[in-house]
Amino acid sequence: MIPEPDVVSVRVTTEIDVAEARQEARKLALRHGFGTVRAHGLATAVSELAMNLVLHSARGGLIRLTVQDAPEAAVIELVSEDDGPGIPDLGLAMEDGYSTRGGLGCGLPGTRRLVDAFAITSCVGAGTRIVCLVRRP
Amino acid sequence: MTEPMHGVGQILLQNQAHVLDAWLARLHDTAPSAQPASLQLLKLELGTLVEKLTAFFLTGEGEGDALKSVEAQAAAISAACARDGLTPMETATLILSLKAIAGDLLNRESGRGTNELDRRRAALDAVVDKLALVTFASFVETREEIIRRQGRALLDLATPALPIWRHIILMPLVGIIDTQRARQVMEWLLEALAREEAHIAILDVTGVPLIDSRVALHLTKTVEAARLLGSQVIVTGISPDAAQTLVKLDVDLSSMITRGTLRAGLAEAFRLLGQNAKGPTETML
Repeated sequence: MIPEPDVVSVRVTTEIDVAEARQEARKLALRHGFGTVRAHGLATAVSELAMNLVLHSARGGLIRLTVQDAPEAAVIELVSEDDGPGIPDLGLAMEDGYSTRGGLGCGLPGTRRLVDAFAITSCVGAGTRIVCLVRRP
Repeated sequence: MTEPMHGVGQILLQNQAHVLDAWLARLHDTAPSAQPASLQLLKLELGTLVEKLTAFFLTGEGEGDALKSVEAQAAAISAACARDGLTPMETATLILSLKAIAGDLLNRESGRGTNELDRRRAALDAVVDKLALVTFASFVETREEIIRRQGRALLDLATPALPIWRHIILMPLVGIIDTQRARQVMEWLLEALAREEAHIAILDVTGVPLIDSRVALHLTKTVEAARLLGSQVIVTGISPDAAQTLVKLDVDLSSMITRGTLRAGLAEAFRLLGQNAKGPTETML
């Protein structure tokens, strides 16, 4: 029997929502037996992606976390979706130190290093969708 | 419109005590979460509302000062309810229950044919509905004001700059660092550095739940600004979890001195001051 997935989604438009999203992410990870370092890493990844939604997408976006939990292994899927301006050059955006808004430029590449799997699709004028996986153990 | 309103006013005037009693009798059902202490006050306020409502109907005018007075009283009741923790649902139900009570009364008292009764009930319903809307707007406004005030209070509490030793300032950061907080931290820290003629500021982030690239950026900027004032910043209290995450994020924090604990940070501050670290204050020199 496959257990029901545990799902949390947070609509992110302002900075307060970013804090909400990462708190939910951390709680979710701890609830499913992830270690504190993994939980902290996931919360940080959520924080980076959610802050991008606030900074770059006028109408914000959605952060959705889904857990598939089995006794021997669990995986959290983190999805960030928006209908913002999109990213014209994904290669550039994934480079360390590149930022359009005066940030440190380590949000996207850093997030990729924090998670086990990372996929990004973006369409200029239509939006961006990022999917990450974090596994236990 | 004048006659039905005047009729309602007359009936209310003769039955004020009855209306109030019936209303209060329903209080327990309409507002179960009201505390006994606030109920006492609420009873007085509702009594005033019934009086003002009666006066309004007796004037027979749809608009004017009498209506404003009734609305103001309803708004005051609503604000009191919001402060006492009643739900907006309870507050609106409380006001709307007047419709049933006064409606019953009108049914009983206006036995002169249904047309008259309909017009009177319509006049009553229109006013009570309006009051319910006023109540709701006022309820939301009061809650918003409470939230705004709490927000300001939190912001003030959040960032004390403590002169803990001669030339050393400690600023413990607690809670979420958003853009507004970050700006304030920098402002207050620089101000304190200048005011206390401090050489070293210790920024303790033990109470910050998460340091992402955004917070790191703000920290870097603060450190850089302090450096321009000739001061050094020691960041303490980065948790082991946060340290591992920051390494993966590849945030460059090499421009600042960091120590694991506040104690280690203080030791580093004294080491940096060297010869200058004499007494805790100027007078102890």
